[in-house]
Amino acid sequence: MPGIEHLLAALTPINILLALSGVVAGTVIGSLPGLTATMAVAVLVPITFSMDPTAALIMMGAIYTGAIYGGAYSAILLNTPGTPSAIATTFDGFPMARKGQGDLAITLACIASVTGGLVGATFLLMLAPPLAEIALAFGPVEYFWLAMFGLTLISALSEGNILRGLIGACFGLLLASIGIAEISADVRFTFGSQVLLGGIETVTALIGLYCIPVLIDLVATPDRHLKVTHKPRGFRFLEALGLAWKTKFSLLRSSVVGTIVGILPGAGGSIAGLVAYSEARRTSKNRDNFGKGEPEGVLATESANNATVGGGFIPTLVLGIPGTPPDAVILGALLVQGIRTGPSLFTEKASIVFTFIYGLYLATCLMLPVGLVIGRYAYQTIVTVPKALLVPTVAFMTLIGTYAIRNSISDMMIMVVLGVIGWTLNRFGFSPSPIVLGLILGRIAEQGFVQAWTIGAATGELWKMFFGRPISLVILAFILLSVFYPLIRSRFRKTTGEAGNVE
Amino acid sequence: MSNNQPNELQRDTATIVISSLFIILAVGSLWDTTHMLDPDSYVFPRAIAIAMIVFSIALIVRHLIKPRKIPEPAQADVSTLRRVSLVAVMLASCLAMPWLGFLIPGIATFLLLMWIAMWDEWTATRLIVYPLVAVAIVLGFYTLFGNILQVPLPLGTLFE
Repeated sequence: MPGIEHLLAALTPINILLALSGVVAGTVIGSLPGLTATMAVAVLVPITFSMDPTAALIMMGAIYTGAIYGGAYSAILLNTPGTPSAIATTFDGFPMARKGQGDLAITLACIASVTGGLVGATFLLMLAPPLAEIALAFGPVEYFWLAMFGLTLISALSEGNILRGLIGACFGLLLASIGIAEISADVRFTFGSQVLLGGIETVTALIGLYCIPVLIDLVATPDRHLKVTHKPRGFRFLEALGLAWKTKFSLLRSSVVGTIVGILPGAGGSIAGLVAYSEARRTSKNRDNFGKGEPEGVLATESANNATVGGGFIPTLVLGIPGTPPDAVILGALLVQGIRTGPSLFTEKASIVFTFIYGLYLATCLMLPVGLVIGRYAYQTIVTVPKALLVPTVAFMTLIGTYAIRNSISDMMIMVVLGVIGWTLNRFGFSPSPIVLGLILGRIAEQGFVQAWTIGAATGELWKMFFGRPISLVILAFILLSVFYPLIRSRFRKTTGEAGNVE
Repeated sequence: MSNNQPNELQRDTATIVISSLFIILAVGSLWDTTHMLDPDSYVFPRAIAIAMIVFSIALIVRHLIKPRKIPEPAQADVSTLRRVSLVAVMLASCLAMPWLGFLIPGIATFLLLMWIAMWDEWTATRLIVYPLVAVAIVLGFYTLFGNILQVPLPLGTLFE
C-alpha cells in the first residue's frame, strides 16, 4: 500500500497550482467542439518538458481529466459531444437542457465525472498490476468483437430503430475505410479524389454529424435554443447530489465499467459511456424516461468516461501500452522525461508513480469547484446569448476547430457535407451516433478482423478463430443480448399488456 | 419560406428510398473492392458492405410488410431558405479560404450567418453592437488558434 509521504508530496502548493491550471485549461479546451482531450494534452504537453517528472505528470493528468469532463458542456448545451467520450451524454443531457434543466445536467455531469475519476484513480492506485493483465488477454478477435459490441449497443439504444442503427453503423465503418488502408496501404473508396486520400477524420465527422444539424435547425425557427428560466437557481448542487445519491449503485457500476473499458487499449471513453448508459437504462426504474432527459443517463455516461482516465493509465504505466489516445501522448512525454514505463515502474520509481496517482485524485477533486463554476458560466452564456450571435459563433467554432485537427480546409468541407447528410438522415430516423461510433471504431474493428482473418486462414481454423475463444464468446453473447433484449422485452411487454387488457 | 415536413406516408417511402441508396452505396463499395489485389484491403469493407445490404433489405421488407408511422413534430414558421443559406455560406467560406486566408472569410461568414440567424428586428443598437461583437469573437478565436495554440491558419494565396 503506497504511503502517506506520496500524498504529501502531491499536495505541495506548486502541484496544487499545476493541477488547478491543468483542470481549467483541459475543461475549456474539451468544451470546444473539435478540440479533444488528445489535442488538449498534445497542445499543452511541451509546457511540461521543463518540469520535474512528477509535476509534469500531475499537470498532464489534470488536463486530461478536465478535457474529458469539458466535453460534457457542448454535449448538454449544444447536442455536440466536445469529445467522442461524451457521445452518450447527448442522449439525456441535451433533452434535459431543452426542458430548462441544463444547469442541473451540468452539475450532475460534474458530480458524476468526479465520482468516476475517483473510482478510476482508486483502481489505478490499488490494482494496477493485476488489472493490466486484462489488456493482455485481449487479442485481435476480441477487439473486433468489442467494436461490434459497441456498435450493436448503440444501435439497440434507439429502440424500434435497431435496423436503422445497424445500417448507420455500417455506413460509419465504410466511411472509416476511406483513404489509404492501414494494413495493406491500398487506396480505397477515394474515387480518384485527392481530398479523400487522408480518410475522414473522426472528430471532423463528429462535429459535422452532431453540430451542423443543430445549426441547421436553430437557424430555421425563431424559437430560443434552450428553454429560459428567469429565476436564478444557483448551482443546484444539493439537488444534483440527491439525485446522484439515489442512483449511487448505478453511478458506482458505471465508474467500474468505465475503468475496465479504459484498461482495454483503444476502446476509450466512447464505448465506456455507451456500455454504462445501456446498463443504467436496463436496470433503472425510470428506463422509459431514458433518451428523454433522464438524470441517471447523464450520471452513468459521465462517470464512466471520466473513470477511463484512471483505467487508461493502468496499461500505460504497467505495460507501456497506452489505454487511450491521450495516454499515448502522455507516454511520449514520459519518455522525454527519461521515465521507462513497465511493471518495474511501480517499484523502482514508486515515488513518481504514486505521487502522480495522488495528483490525479487532487485534480479530480479540484474538478468539482472548477467544473461547477465554468459549467454555470457556459450555461448562462448559451441560454442568454441571442440566436443571431450564437449561430455564427458556434458555426465559426466548428470551422476553426475542424481546421485545427489536420490543418486542412478539405476537412472543413467534409464536415459541412457530412452535417447535411446527418441532418437529412436524422429526419428519417437515422441517428448520427451509430455513424460516428462506426467511424471511431472502424480502425480497431478492421485491424482485429483482418489480423484474425489472416491468422485463421493461415492456420486453417478461421471459424475457431472468430468463434472459439472464451472471451470472444462472452462478448458475442453480450452482442446477441444487446440486439435481442429490446425485442424480447417489447414482445414480453406486448404479451403482458394484452393479458392485462383482457383482465 | 415555409418548409414541407414529410407526412407519415412520405416518410415511409423515404425510408425505402434511403435504404435503397444505402444498398447502392454498398454495391458501389463492393465494386470498388474488385480493383484491390490484397485481401487485407478488401476483406473487411466487403463484409461490412454485405452486412449493410442485408440490413437495408430487411428494413425495406419490414416497411413494405408493416409500415411504421413515426409522429412528426409540429413546427410552424420554419425557414428552408435560411437552412440552405447557412450551409451555402459555410461551404462558400471554405472555398474562399485558400485564396483569402482565414480571417476575411471568417469575419464575412460570421456577419452573414448573423444576418441569416436574426429573427428579431435590427435596431440601431444591434446594428452597431453585433458587428463589433462579431469582429471581436473572430479575432479572439483567430488569436487563440493562430498565436496561442500555434495552428498554422491559412493566409491566402492573394496575400502571400
